[in-house]
Amino acid sequence: MASDIISLKDVTFSYKGSKRRALDGITLNVKQGECVAILGPTGAGKSTLACVMNGTAPRFMDGSLAGDVTVDGMVPAKVGTAQMASRVGLVFGDPDTQLFGMTVEEDVAFGPANLGLGYESIMERVGKSIADMRLSGLERRAPHRLSGGQKQATAIAGVYAMLPKIMVLDEPTSMLDPEGKARVFGIVRMLKEQLGVTVVLIEQEVDDILNLADRVFVMRRGAFVLSGAPREVFGRVEELRQAGVRVPQIVEFGTLIGAAETPFTIEEAISAITPSSAGVGEVAAPACDRTKPDLAAAPEAGRAAQADPVVQAVDVEFTYPGGARALDGVNLAVGRGDFVAIVGQNGAGKTTLTRHFNGLLRPSSGDIRVLGRSAQGVPTIELCRHVGYVFQNPDEQLFCTSVQEELKFGPTNIGADPHVTSQRVEEILGDIGLTKYREVWPKYLTKGERQRLALASVVAMDPDVLIVDEPTTGLDWVESLQILDYLERLRDEHKKTIIIITHDMNIVSLYARRVVVMARGRVVGDGTPREIFSQPDLMELACLRRPPIADLSQALWGEVLLTPAEAAARLLAVKSQATGVCS
Amino acid sequence: MIVEYESKSSAVHRLDPRVKFAWMLAAIVISVMWTHPVYLIVLALAVVGFGMLAGFPWSKIRGVLSFMIIVTAVITLVQGATYVPKTVTLDEPARVLFHLIPGWIPRVGPACPIRVGGFLYGVGMALKVVTVLVVVAIFGFTTSPSEIVQIIARVPFMPYQVGFVMSTAWKFVPVVQMQMRTLMDAHRSKGVDFEQGTFAEKIRKTSGIVLPLFANSLSMADTMALAMESRAFGSSRKFTFIRPYRMEPFDWVVLIGSLGAMVASIVLLAVFRLGAL
Repeated sequence: MASDIISLKDVTFSYKGSKRRALDGITLNVKQGECVAILGPTGAGKSTLACVMNGTAPRFMDGSLAGDVTVDGMVPAKVGTAQMASRVGLVFGDPDTQLFGMTVEEDVAFGPANLGLGYESIMERVGKSIADMRLSGLERRAPHRLSGGQKQATAIAGVYAMLPKIMVLDEPTSMLDPEGKARVFGIVRMLKEQLGVTVVLIEQEVDDILNLADRVFVMRRGAFVLSGAPREVFGRVEELRQAGVRVPQIVEFGTLIGAAETPFTIEEAISAITPSSAGVGEVAAPACDRTKPDLAAAPEAGRAAQADPVVQAVDVEFTYPGGARALDGVNLAVGRGDFVAIVGQNGAGKTTLTRHFNGLLRPSSGDIRVLGRSAQGVPTIELCRHVGYVFQNPDEQLFCTSVQEELKFGPTNIGADPHVTSQRVEEILGDIGLTKYREVWPKYLTKGERQRLALASVVAMDPDVLIVDEPTTGLDWVESLQILDYLERLRDEHKKTIIIITHDMNIVSLYARRVVVMARGRVVGDGTPREIFSQPDLMELACLRRPPIADLSQALWGEVLLTPAEAAARLLAVKSQATGVCS
Repeated sequence: MIVEYESKSSAVHRLDPRVKFAWMLAAIVISVMWTHPVYLIVLALAVVGFGMLAGFPWSKIRGVLSFMIIVTAVITLVQGATYVPKTVTLDEPARVLFHLIPGWIPRVGPACPIRVGGFLYGVGMALKVVTVLVVVAIFGFTTSPSEIVQIIARVPFMPYQVGFVMSTAWKFVPVVQMQMRTLMDAHRSKGVDFEQGTFAEKIRKTSGIVLPLFANSLSMADTMALAMESRAFGSSRKFTFIRPYRMEPFDWVVLIGSLGAMVASIVLLAVFRLGAL
């Protein structure tokens, strides 16, 4: 029986100057070699918990810690940095802020060098870490020239080179594309299964955790609200929802069809609904869940785009000054009132293409048309009245010292009527739920609130088209839905055309009417989410992974369905049909 | 750096970084000591030769050089007009070479005499400035920041954190530049036109990116510090990641040549006034 390598008993932590407890009575025991996943909405205290485990809280972060913390026989708050760093490795979400070397090799050597090891020992550890993390061949590459997944693998290798018994990974995939996520989850599996490292994984990707973690803990407001084996935790659908955690699609489907035993895998779901199975329950009407928009209308929208495009790229090619060819003959027309998701792995050309629509970039050849007119020679200040662009990182587009000023910034610059602007700002403040923060400096808002504000500050300019680059990066599921719901309302109620760039296929399934797939600077696929998810070759080409429910429905009915609710409704229809035939 | 480091396989790139540093040091010391333009021209030509051996991209310093030539021309004329140095090579350093305001301009000319001594001293100054600039540019072009950290790590009594701070600053320059570009793009997307308006308006518009840039940099620094703490930064008193370098024959040639030239020039200047104007 393995002993506890991490032991926390009734731990509380409060940041200096804050009345709220970031951790509130946490008790956690982790056995050596175990993989524990911690879920929860942003602000739940997950990162603080990670820092308590390696002692950076309270040694580095000002605050008061109470309760008993023992990690690998040490009390982290009482021992030195070096002692804890060689026991607990901490990896963060943003690889750019945790890579210090000028090359991959130097970065991996950073930790061992800080431990004061000799050159030979350092290089031995570096070599092993690089090989174990499958970074061989990249030793001399500058970290900033790597892909997102490679960067995060380098960050993990750097921590792993310190030979910690425990690795704490704090949302390591939050900023990665699907390929990068797959790479990192592969590494986590290897750490756990082959290298015998104890892993504490803080994550939002529930579908991956389901098959990876030995135990799952759900945090909310500094405390654990759910804990147990993955099947135990993910089976408690209502409690997960209340905690703000996305329910895995297969589990949600099982709940909707009233399966006696909750399915966790596609195979289990299939056996749960097979007539011979004993576990078939009564199928519940899927009214409780978000239902898909009428997808049959989507091809019509695509055709409308050809007739009345609001933005259009005609044979667009673009080469960056350094010589990198980012767009290679792109043709794309987006119709009025459409909701388009542009997908594809990092470097596919998604952001480069959309930045052409408001003039931030100009094509090397070809033409961009906005509202039927060529954008050539039209300045960005003119184009931004029609095409609003929301950047990925809200902190790079919030400039003012209050929320209210932020919302007025754009309209004032384009000479909008001050009276109309004031009215619109009031309306928007209500829409995004920030009325009470109108005088607050945006920096003090949560990430989700800042993201909403960044979006709203562009909406305030009343453009016809809204382009939103990665609207859900770093947000939890509830915050992501708030952003997407707002976009959907803008489309439905204000007739805006919405273009999002995203890696999240769950979001694509739920909101997009049309999906444009890009790879190597070209549009390689264009259709409804159902059409796109039905093309495995295309998905592979663009390094995309369709949601598990699409795999399940394909396996069951040979047809891709997009949400658990849709699949449950199909099952209900199939059952009714069968009952009708039998009777 | 004036010119960014490029990973190439030229003979100069392959040199031991300590040798490149010694070369840079020698070239700077010699150029500072010598005042005679002819000697400085010889030094400049030697530096250019070294740059050519390194495959130095001369076009990249065209802008800086053009600016420096204007500045040094002004220095030369000011020196020529205002200064008469004590020289060991000129018989008449105060002799007028030409007038800045020639004699054919009625009433005012000839005026503002440019004297030989001051003029040549100014030319020497100009050559020194340009030579040092090119030397530093060649060093930056051929020596990676990692190698510079390795050089610093070998300096006795120098805290290794100095090297780390340097390389981190170096690494984050492009990150901050990219953030600045994004901030400007975000401003443009909200109707700010940086090209339009008076100079004061342009300054006001550009200052709008300072606050978010500063706030974002602080926040990034905070996250970085946490990541460094988690990797035991500062827990060891000495820097142990010191790559063993092996001196090749060409390294010895350049090292002995550089240090020999430096020592020789010091001695020859001190004893025979060689290199002095």
